[in-house]
Amino acid sequence: MAANVAIAGRLRSVRRLVFLYLRCLGQQMKAILAYEADFVVLLFSAVIVQFTGFLFIWTIFQRIPNINGWTFWQVVMMYALIFVTEGVGSLFFEGTWRLTNLVYTGQFDQMLVRPVSPIVQVLASAVGFNGLGNLVTGFVLIGISITNVPVAWTPGRLLMLAILIASAATIRVAINLASAASAFWVSSPWSMVPMFVHQLSEFAKYPITIYSFAVQALIVVAVPFAFVSFFPTAYLFNNEAWSAIGLLTPLVAVYSLLVAVWIFNAGLRRYESTGH
Amino acid sequence: MSGLRKYSAIARTSLEITFLYRTSFALNMIGSIFYVFAMFYLWQTIFLGSPGALGGFTWPEMKAYLLVAFLLNALMTWFAEWNMSVDLREGRVATDLARPMDFQASRFASAVGPVPFEFCSAVAVGAVVALMFGGIALPADGAHAAVFLVSAAMATLIKFGLVYCVSMTAFWTTGTDGITVGRAAVQNLFSGALIPLIFFPDWLRAVAAVLPFQGMVSTPALIYLGKMDTPTTALMLGVQALWAVGLILLGRLAWRGAQRAVTINGG
Repeated sequence: MAANVAIAGRLRSVRRLVFLYLRCLGQQMKAILAYEADFVVLLFSAVIVQFTGFLFIWTIFQRIPNINGWTFWQVVMMYALIFVTEGVGSLFFEGTWRLTNLVYTGQFDQMLVRPVSPIVQVLASAVGFNGLGNLVTGFVLIGISITNVPVAWTPGRLLMLAILIASAATIRVAINLASAASAFWVSSPWSMVPMFVHQLSEFAKYPITIYSFAVQALIVVAVPFAFVSFFPTAYLFNNEAWSAIGLLTPLVAVYSLLVAVWIFNAGLRRYESTGH
Repeated sequence: MSGLRKYSAIARTSLEITFLYRTSFALNMIGSIFYVFAMFYLWQTIFLGSPGALGGFTWPEMKAYLLVAFLLNALMTWFAEWNMSVDLREGRVATDLARPMDFQASRFASAVGPVPFEFCSAVAVGAVVALMFGGIALPADGAHAAVFLVSAAMATLIKFGLVYCVSMTAFWTTGTDGITVGRAAVQNLFSGALIPLIFFPDWLRAVAAVLPFQGMVSTPALIYLGKMDTPTTALMLGVQALWAVGLILLGRLAWRGAQRAVTINGG
C-alpha cells in the first residue's frame, strides 16, 4: 500500500516535470517565432546542410560501388541518423548548448532557486528551429533509404526502427548534456568542449570499419556515437558481423543517460556562482 | 600613413585576442581535425578498394588536396564572422559607426590579423596528419609553390568578401547562425573542400564553375598539385581576382544600404 502511494507520487512528479518542460519549451518557441525571418533561415539552412552532405556521398558512390561492403543507401541511413538525432537535440534540447553562457552570466542561479530540476530547466531553456529542418530531411532520407535496401520491412522491424531511432536520439542528447556540463568546470564565456565532442560525430557518418582501432574505441566506448548511426544501421540491414551489437543500442541509451545525469550532478555540486 | 597605422593596430589587437583565447582556438582546430581524419580514413578505404588513380588523383595527391583544403578553411575562421554578427546584434556596431574609419577596411584588418597564426597552426596540425598517413604529395616545384601562395591569398580575399556580404544580412535578420551554417555548407560543397570538383557529374560542375566558391579551395589546391597548365592557371587566377574584387565591392554596396536599416537596441 505504502509502495503504491510512493509510486503514484513518483509518477505525479515525473508528469509535472514533463508538463513544466513543455510549458518552458512552448514559451521559447513563441519567442523564436516572433522573428519570422530567422525561423525561415534556420529551417532552410539545415535543409541545405543535409542536401550538400547527401550530394557529397552520392558523388563518391558514382565512382565506387561500396565502401568496405557498405552500399550507398546504407551509408545514407547512417548519415540520416546523425542528422535526425541532431534535429531532436536542437529542436527539443537546444538548452544544453546555452549552459556555458547561463553559468558565465550568472543566470544559472535563477534556475537553482526554482523548485524544479535544473536539468529540466536547462534542457527547456532554448529551441533550435534548425532541428526541424534536420528532422524532416533526415526522416525523408531514412524513408528513401529503407525502400532502397533489400530488407523485408515487417511490422516488427519497423517497430525496431522506431526504438533504435529513439535510443539513438537519447544517446545524442545524453552526450550533449554531459559535454555541456563542462561549463561547471571551465570559467570562460564559451566553452569549446561541447563543440569539440559534437565534432566527433563526423566519424559516425561513415561505417566504423574504415577507421583505425583507436578511433573505433573512441566512438564505440568513450563517446558512443557509433551507437547513434553505425550499429543501428547494421542491425536494421542485417549486417552479419555487426547486427547483434545493434540490439544493445537501447541499453547503451539508458547507460549514457545515467552517466550524463551523474556528470551533470557532479558539476552542480562544485558549482560556484559567478562573483565568488 | 597614419591611416594605415590605425588598421594595423586593429589587426594586432585581433591577433592578441586570438592568443588570449588560445585554448578555444586550439580546441576549435582539433575539432575540425576530426572531420579531416574522417575524410582521410574514408578516402584511404576508397583508394585501397580501387588501386591507381581516381578522377586523375593518386592517393598521395588526394591526401595533399585534403590538407590544402583544411589549411585554406582554417584561415579567417568563424571568429571574424561571429564577432561581426554579435557586434550587430548587441548594438556595438554603433561605436563602429562613430569611428573615423572605413567599416569594411577595419573589419578586414580584424579578420586578417590572426591569419599568420592560423596559417602556422594549420600547417603544424596538417604536418602531423600527413606524417600519420605516410606523407603527402609536395608542390610540383618552387614556381608552383609561389603561385599557390598567391592563389591562397586571393582565396582568403574571396572568403572575406563573401563572409562580409553574408554578415550584412544581420542588419535585416536578428541572428546569423542559420545563414552562417548554410553559407558554410554550400561553400564546402562548391569550393571543392569536400571532394575535388572533377568528381562531380557535368551538371554539378557547371554550377560550381559559375559560383565564386571554386576560387576558395579548388583553384589553389589544383595549382599546388600542378594539375593545371599555364594558360588555365592564368585564367583561374583572373577569375579569382574578379570574384575577390566583385564581392568586396558588393559588400560596400550592401553596407550603404544596411546603414539605413540599422536600428540600435534602445532606440
